[in-house]
Amino acid sequence: MTNPDLSIQLAPNNHKGLLLTNPVMAASGTFGYGTEYADVIDIQKLGAIVSKGITLQPRQGNPQPRLVETPSGLLNSIGLENIGAEALIKEKAPLWNQWQVPVIVNIAGESVEEYAEIARMLNGVEGISAIEVNISCPNVASGGAEFGIDPQMAATVTSAVKQATNLPTIVKLTPNVTDIVQIAQAVVEAGIDSLTIANTFKGMAIDTVKRQPVLGNTVGGLSGPAIKPLVLHLVYRVAQAVEVPIIGCGGIASANDALEFLMAGASAVQVGTATFVDPQVMIQIVDGIGRFMHQQEIANLNQLIGTAILR
Amino acid sequence: MKQILAPIVSNSEIIPDVHLIRIEAPQVAAEARPGQFITACCGDDVLLRRPLSIHRIEEGQLALLFAVVGQGTAWLANRKQGESLDILGPLGNGFKVQQNTHNILLVAGGIGIAPLVCLAEKAVDDGISVKLILGTATATQHYSEVDGVEIIRVTEDGSLGEKGMVTDLLPSIAGWADQLFACGPISMYRTMAAMGTEIEGKSVQILLEQVMGCGVGACRGCAIPTHQGMKMVCQNGPVFDLREIMWEQITAPKIGQF
Repeated sequence: MTNPDLSIQLAPNNHKGLLLTNPVMAASGTFGYGTEYADVIDIQKLGAIVSKGITLQPRQGNPQPRLVETPSGLLNSIGLENIGAEALIKEKAPLWNQWQVPVIVNIAGESVEEYAEIARMLNGVEGISAIEVNISCPNVASGGAEFGIDPQMAATVTSAVKQATNLPTIVKLTPNVTDIVQIAQAVVEAGIDSLTIANTFKGMAIDTVKRQPVLGNTVGGLSGPAIKPLVLHLVYRVAQAVEVPIIGCGGIASANDALEFLMAGASAVQVGTATFVDPQVMIQIVDGIGRFMHQQEIANLNQLIGTAILR
Repeated sequence: MKQILAPIVSNSEIIPDVHLIRIEAPQVAAEARPGQFITACCGDDVLLRRPLSIHRIEEGQLALLFAVVGQGTAWLANRKQGESLDILGPLGNGFKVQQNTHNILLVAGGIGIAPLVCLAEKAVDDGISVKLILGTATATQHYSEVDGVEIIRVTEDGSLGEKGMVTDLLPSIAGWADQLFACGPISMYRTMAAMGTEIEGKSVQILLEQVMGCGVGACRGCAIPTHQGMKMVCQNGPVFDLREIMWEQITAPKIGQF
């Protein structure tokens, strides 16, 4: 058998498209602006890189402590520390433009207009392949998840961003809702190209000696292997309800984890916390998916997607 | 920065609950400077890599000195010769010794000795005079000798050297030094930051520890408030100027986390 084809199109309805050579990408907030790990892994071998969530103005982020390790998980409360949209365009995009690996810019606003404004600024910037709209950050006072918990609000943000840019557009949903399917359907109707499912689960930890929350911002978002079965289920449900490509994100730490997400209906996966544990993990996942397809004589990644969905 | 599997050459408890691990890591040792650190995978039961100060750099080997304070470091303490450690490093900025410096004073609180020995050995090699004030709770926790370094010993219970804290002795010795380097608990730094004329005008570099996600500046998790805004312990540090940090806003890392 010839080498299996791992490539995947994540924005089939966008005229530019978002074609990845493989379905494994670095999750926003865990891979900085793409350069931080470049000494130890070949970033050009990744399917894509999603950069740290960007806001209109630079942000200092939340007070420390910002991280707590929990059993098989990591609570974070970074608070969208970032360099701001202007600096990203000036300092990072020119570098990305020389890369083979597509860079997707995650954006977060405090108002619908701010989301649209950032999307307008990024439109046509060389080196940026797509936008991921963050309506799911659990760690900021205004903006973030407040746009992601109401179907109508989520659709309004989506429409505003779509009108402001020609770039392929992904929406990253929060799992902290009663029914993620409703939100997913609303943003799909608003014309989104693909969905990232999901951001972190809200959680906290308490220092029993001090009798106070450990995190400087009290509440954080839980990531890591602890949330994998939860997110896998969300992907499985949304995949049956919408037609757009889904990017699974939550606790993926091995090729087998990634395969589970693909079989649950995801077209691609994002890896975050696992990169902190082993910077090589994304490359190992790409290789592992390829090996699996070779062994199972699966020629094309599309033949795997959604195969575990009972019909 | 490299990620390698480093064979363990030796591992021993040299002080109660403090281990010294030697690893074969020529690629990392070649790049490493005093004050830098590595992160190590600490088994399947903890998720994040643990940051560890580089204690010694010697002919292709690294020595790591660490206190057993949580699940990760307990796993590390049980590793045997012949096993390997997955390490990433060297990371961080390291200490900066100025060109015209002749005398340096090192201030170590407890396990804070770990990165300072690396600096001391390099400084002695470079012909710089080195004095070290080492403070622990009691005599059995004291580190042995460092070639060419005068060690002034302090214990909280008075069982060795002067009774008290390192910061009690610091004012009387600081005048001798061109530069000061310190590693210890946040409370020690707070006392130093509050000192006035005793260390005025002296360059004081301190080494911070913080729970880290990535160790390379990607996750923005190990933030520390400074007068120039939030900085990352892993990327901008772990070495900072004493006066750069906003000490009133600092929360000490939850030690069981390591």
